[in-house]
Amino acid sequence: MTLRGGYDVVLAGRPDKTLSPMPDPDALYLPLKTRRFHFTDVRVGNDDTIGQGDTLAEDPANFSVPLLAPRAGKIVYSPSDPCITLTHLAKTPAKAKPADAAAQLPHVAPEMGDGGRNRYKLLSLGAWEYVSDAYTGALPDPFGICQAVVVSTVAMEPFVARGDAQLGGKLLNFTRGLEHIQSLLEYQPIYLVMPDIHSQLATQIRDQLRGYAWVKLVEIPPKYPFDNFSVLARHLGLKPAAGPVWCLRTEGALAVDQALTGDKPCLTRIVAIGGPPVSSPRHYEVLPGHPLADLAARAGLGPNVRLLDGGALTGKKVKLSDKSGLDPECRGLTALAEQTDREFLGFVRPGADRRSYAACFLSTLRGKFSEKLTTGMRGEPRPCIGCNFCEEVCPAGILPYLIHKHLYADQIDEAAQARVDLCVECGLCSFVCPCKIELMQQFIDAKAVIAKEKAEAEAAAAKAAAAEEAARQAAQAAAAQESR
Amino acid sequence: MKIIRKVFDGLQPLFEDGGRLKTFKAVYEALDNFFFAPSARTPNAPHLRDPLDLKRYMSMVIVGLAPALLAALYLNGPRLLAMIIVSYMAGGAVEVAFAAIRKKEIHEGFLVTGLIFPMVLPGALPLWMVAVGVAFGVFVGKELFGGVGRNVFNPAIVARCFLALAYPRAMSGGYVAPGGPGRLLEWVGLDAVSGATPLGLAKQGTWMDVPLLDMFLGRIAGSAAETSTLAILIGGGFLLMTRVANWRTVAAVLGSATVMALMFCDSLTEVIWQLCAGGLMFGAFFMATDPVTSAATNLGKVIYGVIIGVVVMLIRNFTGYVEGVMFAILLGNIAAPVIDEILYKVRFRRLQIEG
Repeated sequence: MTLRGGYDVVLAGRPDKTLSPMPDPDALYLPLKTRRFHFTDVRVGNDDTIGQGDTLAEDPANFSVPLLAPRAGKIVYSPSDPCITLTHLAKTPAKAKPADAAAQLPHVAPEMGDGGRNRYKLLSLGAWEYVSDAYTGALPDPFGICQAVVVSTVAMEPFVARGDAQLGGKLLNFTRGLEHIQSLLEYQPIYLVMPDIHSQLATQIRDQLRGYAWVKLVEIPPKYPFDNFSVLARHLGLKPAAGPVWCLRTEGALAVDQALTGDKPCLTRIVAIGGPPVSSPRHYEVLPGHPLADLAARAGLGPNVRLLDGGALTGKKVKLSDKSGLDPECRGLTALAEQTDREFLGFVRPGADRRSYAACFLSTLRGKFSEKLTTGMRGEPRPCIGCNFCEEVCPAGILPYLIHKHLYADQIDEAAQARVDLCVECGLCSFVCPCKIELMQQFIDAKAVIAKEKAEAEAAAAKAAAAEEAARQAAQAAAAQESR
Repeated sequence: MKIIRKVFDGLQPLFEDGGRLKTFKAVYEALDNFFFAPSARTPNAPHLRDPLDLKRYMSMVIVGLAPALLAALYLNGPRLLAMIIVSYMAGGAVEVAFAAIRKKEIHEGFLVTGLIFPMVLPGALPLWMVAVGVAFGVFVGKELFGGVGRNVFNPAIVARCFLALAYPRAMSGGYVAPGGPGRLLEWVGLDAVSGATPLGLAKQGTWMDVPLLDMFLGRIAGSAAETSTLAILIGGGFLLMTRVANWRTVAAVLGSATVMALMFCDSLTEVIWQLCAGGLMFGAFFMATDPVTSAATNLGKVIYGVIIGVVVMLIRNFTGYVEGVMFAILLGNIAAPVIDEILYKVRFRRLQIEG
């Protein structure tokens, strides 16, 4: 599939390349429920003193992925808490964890040898959670087989941590991480996705990887949302039926290097903090669980600002309370001013300060510029007029307006036939829609309904099969009884 | 600005539940939101939205129509203004009535329909016919289908078609002949200035009597705004640049019409004459490009445009009708959903292969 659609939303307040360390806070609030994981298996109790890198909790539904303590300290936790609070933080170097795979998972070592031990190390040292499956976005089985690995340094959404900020001075670690990933595989290819494979950075990477024919450099135009892994996987011709595709970003490759080269747990996160109201947008090295209120205060955010976990197009609203900590899976915090005032005759203004997908404003003559966007809908909801903008920007090649029409008429089967399942949830259709229709949200809901119906149908079929089997057995038993 | 806000805030209780003017709540809301953009916030991701809304979108069409409108005013005189006002009032009344009955908001689409309709009428048409026509067009062409976004036919063309069939003499005899330096200060009467259109002359056998420059500048008889190709090109080019009109439709209509003209015309002059004559240019830029009634897919727009272009030339040159744009676009509107349906099937198959 060729890459199609896409559109860059140029938002003001882009974080620059510099990476600043964030001072440790007084306490860390480690959420037990993150984007993908739910750490239900808590391993520590109230008032416990733990060391840096100790496992606080595990998620039994996701291959026992651990929640590691970013610092040594004292636990405050009661079972009703949504987070584990860590106080009296101390920075003691993490003791090297023996990768005791043989004791933990007896079947792994004999079956998979060194590779299995390394995979266990990745999981227990917190590097595996950087890996996701291209199609489902879920955590792939660390001991499973993949059809390919995609490593992407591109991050286009405003604003998530970008590859260029993380690679500064860590090029060697990055290439070493790629080599480690390769050691886990048998023959599967690794695709390294970069915005420009002839840049200085790409040349350096290629020089360091010389002799490793297994890394294929792929160039994609730096345009949102071509960095989306399901778009990339389809672009590379990787079919969902052929098995999972492991996907990592820059930070993932660096984490793999940290876990396998130094046996060190991955405790810090790199988070981009940006957006129009942020006083100094940049990348920060933060501990997971860092109080969000503290981060907001450091970013100079006043009241009436919406803080998002993730980018402006796909991020989730963050509730700032006393005990809200940074999600370990967070890649960026985006701040947007809430729309409050009603603009006088807004639609007749020449609009040198506003940029639109359709060149309907004077800013067209100005070229690209970063815009101070707010959370305003900037228009009233209207029925679809069929302007076709949503199809033009859709990276998945589906027809958002058609699916919307089907969903409006409650025709869920037709929507499924129109391949709503291919939607990558990039949010561009909702962004460009002049009729202000909540296309992306409708598709997310429809996908959930379709998945539920499918599961129910499967369950019903399984039940029917089981009943049939039971009836058959009963009949057999009756026949046996009779013959006796 | 503050004064206007105060007026609106003062009037608001009248339109609330229990107020005396509750029925006209839609009008109040439309006006309120016209002057002050609503401050609604995005309920969920994406948390920002494009500044383009339907109001801006439709006002772009009106800006695009402005050159043709100015040319029409110059050629037809202030009577056109009266026609536009009548059109807005009569069509607006239908629109407001439906909004009140449905308890829905008033949509911007009518701003374009109400303006475009008098522009495609002969300049000397009786005003009551304008009112009847636009009411019919909005009622049958739009509201019966469910309002903006759900209509199959372009309401302005439905209205014009109705008038052409119901009052053929007034419609074919009301064309204002070009006169003097322009008619900016002249109120044209029905019989005083009626002229034959170049296509009409061609039907009578006096083919190519009109100079090409006059055709291009619009110094010919014809419907109010369709005569000046130059003005249409300026406004239409603007619409294409803003992406409000899809270039594929325009290119397909004009391209297929050119190819057809090349087939039976002797010289290049004749081809250009054919393109400038009648409502072809106006139809291609402003009426065929209506996103609601044209095909939705990009390839569909091309096929839809080709149908219109070919049918225009066939009707014009090989039937008893003088002008064919109106019927061609109606035919294209009928074909559009079918074209789309076929192209959707093709697209689904391709998605199936891509996986």
